[in-house]
Amino acid sequence: MPAGPPERDSAMPAGPPERDSAMPAGPPERDSAMPAGPPERDRPALPLLVAENLCVSFPAGKGQRLIAVEDVSLSVSEGETLGVVGESGCGKSTVARCLAGLLRPGSGTVSLRGEVLGARRTTEQHRAVQLVFQDPYSSLNPRLSVRSVLAELLVFHGLAQGEAVERRCLELMALVGLPADALDGYPSSFSGGQRQRIAIARALAVEPQVVVADEPISSLDVSVQAAILALFADLRERLGIGMVLISHNLAVVRNICDRAAVMYLGRIVEVGEREEIFTDPRHPYTRALLTAAPRLRPGPDRVAGVAARLRGEPPSPTARPTGCAFHPRCPRAEPVCATQRPELLPAPAGSSRMAACHFRDETQ
Amino acid sequence: MSVGRGERRLLAVRDVSLKVAAGGSLGVVGESGSGKSLTLRALMGLLPPGVRVDHGTVELAGEQLPFTGDAARRLRRGRLAMVFQDPLSSLDPVYTVGAQVAEVPRRVLGASASASRIRAVELLRMVGMPDPEQRAHAFPHQLSGGMRQRVLIAMALASEPKVLLCDEPTTALDVTVQAQVLELLDDLRRRLGVAVVFVSHDLAVVRQVADDLAVMYTGRVIETGPTKEVLERPAHPYTLGLLEAVVDLDDMGQPPRAIPGALPDLAHVPSGCPFHPRCRFATDDCALSDPGFRYLGDGDADRGTACKYPERVMAG
Repeated sequence: MPAGPPERDSAMPAGPPERDSAMPAGPPERDSAMPAGPPERDRPALPLLVAENLCVSFPAGKGQRLIAVEDVSLSVSEGETLGVVGESGCGKSTVARCLAGLLRPGSGTVSLRGEVLGARRTTEQHRAVQLVFQDPYSSLNPRLSVRSVLAELLVFHGLAQGEAVERRCLELMALVGLPADALDGYPSSFSGGQRQRIAIARALAVEPQVVVADEPISSLDVSVQAAILALFADLRERLGIGMVLISHNLAVVRNICDRAAVMYLGRIVEVGEREEIFTDPRHPYTRALLTAAPRLRPGPDRVAGVAARLRGEPPSPTARPTGCAFHPRCPRAEPVCATQRPELLPAPAGSSRMAACHFRDETQ
Repeated sequence: MSVGRGERRLLAVRDVSLKVAAGGSLGVVGESGSGKSLTLRALMGLLPPGVRVDHGTVELAGEQLPFTGDAARRLRRGRLAMVFQDPLSSLDPVYTVGAQVAEVPRRVLGASASASRIRAVELLRMVGMPDPEQRAHAFPHQLSGGMRQRVLIAMALASEPKVLLCDEPTTALDVTVQAQVLELLDDLRRRLGVAVVFVSHDLAVVRQVADDLAVMYTGRVIETGPTKEVLERPAHPYTLGLLEAVVDLDDMGQPPRAIPGALPDLAHVPSGCPFHPRCRFATDDCALSDPGFRYLGDGDADRGTACKYPERVMAG
């Protein structure tokens, strides 16, 4: 007997049907939130979500503070995907939580279309910025069917009533590439990839303007990761929402992001257009990350670039090195790096790409 | 080898044959549920309760090793060692790492307590632990993830094993640290001549450490061969699919392509070739009969596949 279920995740690559009916089913007065057609990708889009000078610290015992995020500024425009990469403890998830309003930054602001989001966001403001979590096993309530998860949101936010709820649920299923009968299922009956689609449907149900996805494919099997990435790319094209994708995986960022920000020990060390970052990195840490990433088709020797590899590991955020936080591990470091912190400045001068390195004008 | 599990006795691993030479390295790649970790545990004689080996053998240097009981432990002791995925949960939080490493030479090799302590520091130095004399007095929570993984590797090497079994040893680590640990494993293999079996879901990682590759799907080995050849010219559609699905840093030409369908669960493994419902090369015949595993022969003597049509797959 050829097994029954395995066809589900396959719904994706072809793209769900009904392209046009997909999104604008919400109440009409929300039209600013959701441009109906795909955005023109070429025009310089308005900044949609802007974070300025975010600082977050946590008490670390003995009167110490752990500085998780320091002076981080980011922006994402309509239809744009911003990738935030870095290793564990670099503060990337903390940034995601600040953007989504789950965590109040110690200082700094997050604003949406120019409006500063206060310490306590309104329901509307929460609706506008949605978060997709890493683990679709722990982020879905096991006792609620998919339909009840979605319907609750739609009714609570006044986005649909009566029969419209069911119609909208079906649209959402089509949008994320799940069959209609998935609505009756509970999280336990779905695979990891399907659960992540449900989590995405939940985020999209409230017609957000920005989706912040924190490591959305890290817990999935290799063979379904590509399908979820394709779904994100497709949604961005069709719905024109802004996306912030948090990941430790450079390959993921290179595949679907328009711009990328690299974080190290709570600060952005480099930010710019994707190809600038990946083909002409100006911060030694970005270079090191690119060298260290395992590759399927690299040069002849298997353990390549040994000499260029970083020594040591990221220091604890409670014991941050002076000057440039990266200097103890940096192959390019000079005495100035230990004393003077480099500002995040355009590299080369006049460029939109910025790097926080004293030697940002050097290429390789 | 076949492993049965649970009340309903599902076949979790069937007919898996692997071999690794002294100083060689074998990568075992598969997604969740492919049976790669169970296979490794069976080799190590560490099967979880309820799992039993129905038949099959493990040989080490010509000597057969039982899977359970005291004899299994005695015969493996000091000859096979394992490095686990999560270094924090495999170390005892209330002992210093030096004491934990020293325990191995003392208890397995019968060294004196003072000789064991000295050996522990040597081992920590060998695995690249900075400042090993001081770090031997540290507790696991005081070390970073990469350093903990180095401690585990030092413990595994402390008994001077012939074979080092690694279960996703770098999955919990950051990329810059992962690169260091992979480099260390490769270096130790060359210097000490220990054979390494490396289980991972990540093809790019395995490529860096393994001479040979075995790809697993639904509890079977579906392709084997030298790593380079398997990755360049896969002879099984699942391997090809995995390669196409990998979100690769360099491959900007074409977007990654997911394998259609989902991994079958063990209770519903498709008939015939288990991959046929997801396979673009499948014919009616694939659903009817199990292709079995065969070697490709001529020029590709080491390469084997469980596909009826390897020529078509290799042609793309």
